[in-house]
Amino acid sequence: MAEYKLLLEHTNDPKFRTLEGYQATGGYTALKKALTMERSVIVDSIKIAGLRGRGGAGAPAFLKWGGMPKEKKTEHYLICNADEGEPGTFKDKELLENCPFLLVEGMTLGGYTVQGDVGYIYIRGEFMDGAKALRKAIDEAYANNLLGKNILGTGFNFDLQIHMGAGSYECGEETALMSSLMGERGMPRLKFPSAPFPVVSGVFEKPTLIHNVESYCNIPFIVNNGPEWFASLGASTKNSRGTKLFSVSGHVNKPGNYEIEFGTPLKELLELAGGVRGGKLKACIPGGSSMPIITPEDVEVAIIGYEEMGAVKSMVGSGGCMFFNEHTDIVKLAWRTAQFYANESCGKCTPCREGTRWMVQILERICKGNGRPGDIDLLKQVASQIDGRSFCPLGDAAAWPIMAMMRVFPHEFEYYIEHGHSMVDSVPSLVGVP
Amino acid sequence: MSELIQLGNPNQRPKQLRPEDVKLNFSEQGVKEIEALISHYPNKKACILPGLWLAQREYGGYLSGDAIAEVAYRLERSFAEVQGVATFYSLYNSVHAPGKHKIEVCTCLCCHVNGAWNLRDYLVTKLGIRHGETTADGMFTLEEVECLNTCDKAPAVQVGSKYYGPVTEAQLDALLEELRNSEESTVVQYANDIVQVQLRAGEV
Ligand SMILES: Cc1cc2nc3c(=O)[nH]c(=O)nc-3n(C[C@H](O)[C@H](O)[C@H](O)COP(=O)(O)O)c2cc1C
Ligand code: SF4
Ligand code: FES
Repeated sequence: MAEYKLLLEHTNDPKFRTLEGYQATGGYTALKKALTMERSVIVDSIKIAGLRGRGGAGAPAFLKWGGMPKEKKTEHYLICNADEGEPGTFKDKELLENCPFLLVEGMTLGGYTVQGDVGYIYIRGEFMDGAKALRKAIDEAYANNLLGKNILGTGFNFDLQIHMGAGSYECGEETALMSSLMGERGMPRLKFPSAPFPVVSGVFEKPTLIHNVESYCNIPFIVNNGPEWFASLGASTKNSRGTKLFSVSGHVNKPGNYEIEFGTPLKELLELAGGVRGGKLKACIPGGSSMPIITPEDVEVAIIGYEEMGAVKSMVGSGGCMFFNEHTDIVKLAWRTAQFYANESCGKCTPCREGTRWMVQILERICKGNGRPGDIDLLKQVASQIDGRSFCPLGDAAAWPIMAMMRVFPHEFEYYIEHGHSMVDSVPSLVGVP
Repeated sequence: MSELIQLGNPNQRPKQLRPEDVKLNFSEQGVKEIEALISHYPNKKACILPGLWLAQREYGGYLSGDAIAEVAYRLERSFAEVQGVATFYSLYNSVHAPGKHKIEVCTCLCCHVNGAWNLRDYLVTKLGIRHGETTADGMFTLEEVECLNTCDKAPAVQVGSKYYGPVTEAQLDALLEELRNSEESTVVQYANDIVQVQLRAGEV
């Protein structure tokens, strides 16, 4: 197995970013086909295809599509989560920049299927290039009756709006994103079972279908090539179907986005990215900064799949795969990771707001050579008191990587505390940080 | 009881600004743009984020109290509510007026292991300012930021709408020189780009 280019097939072709070029490669045949299909048949094909959300959690997509009210009593909204903020991930950015029509077609198709009125694409404020490419695509679609009123003469109306974020990782969390879209601070809301699912009451308290960019981009392929074909991709895994985009970065020779079929060994991803640079492989964070770190031995045996990654105690997550060479100081990495979550915590709940800061303080004093004998236990205690006790998953996501780093590399933490400096001959750039 | 429920309803917050308390400084173009943006949403409140971006452009890159008041007034919300939103998000300059150019150095994981701190130190020495500070001539603001999600180009730097990476010290020198000589403020330009990208062609 090697790269399997489905979504990324035409990324190098600038024409793919124009309507004409997109249609020349089969673009919009899926929408035209869908407009003649029963809505329930489309939902069924998403189910047969086995598509799972690509935003991180990997929930089956058909649950959301099928959960939207069949009988339309009020407005229905669609949201595309393009607030990619997970450190190590840059796949949605590439999709926006190079495949904007895939997203526009995928969302329009979704709009038809769940009887949507307006789709909001919530783009991270920093992604100007992606937003501009998408703007062009949306404008072209409007000009050609592929968006707006009476699309292709079928009586179906659908609008797409771009909404720019303003710098907050927490707004990637779906309920916080909805708060933000409604003009509030980006703080999360109660979730099921304390509150209804977004498909019942989402943004503006109306039924809402929310997906990640990559999830929507898969839809045209499912409709075009058939769900059975889609489900044949990744058939070697337990329950992961299709392809997955991985953003590979860190100490590799060819960092970038790589698309692979589910079931591909993780070590092939490393080979695709040109192998490790600057020394031997020391560690890998396979799915974005929130996911537990793994060892080179784990990288040898890991298979990419939502269930399969559990064998090495990690997860596919958002696909931000970082490899680190032997000169990486794991304690400082833990410090910087904790710092990220402390900075991005929205402050709504105590375990996360206070706990992340405590983790930073403890790790900072260890990094400065002032670590105390009980610090490892203290850190474990703080982390375990955030995990599972916070209002939204950001708290868990802050605790997991730190807990995993302490579990996988305990001797580094012990050495650092005992000697007051790192056991790794760290690259000069990291001396004196923090 | 019913009064309590009303007060708790975020859509019915009291204390809207009175016209005599607000200075209206939006340009004619800005007024048209905010009206177009409002039409994208089912209510005016949802337009607070786009409205703040617009104000950030209209007020030269800084969301001063006047700027926030104008957004609140035009969207019929209270000052406190809009200020609360503005201060939550890191891309709104609501605390200090930024310099003409804001240099954002990513020090998050991938950049952290790829020399970002060297770049940071280099800029601190060269500009004589630290995280969050602005040079005395008002030219540059330095910020250490979280992952810019362009980790394939680590260490990465963002100025306005543009990404740079992997950045070397020599490239930073050239970039600073270029920015110093540029007419326009990248902070204002960036806010304008964000406003434009949310508007459909021909909408305003
Ligand atoms: C702290 C936090 C940050 C998140 N950030 C993102 C993000 O940047 N992009 C994204 O698509 N999903 C993100 N998610 C996941 C979303 O909450 C949600 O599960 C996803 O948008 C659903 O789309 P999907 O069904 O296509 O996966 C985040 C979740 C959490 C808890
Ligand atoms: S866990 Fe709590 S404080 Fe942290 S981001 Fe979620 S709601 Fe906010
Ligand atoms: S860590 Fe710097 S861009 Fe991602």
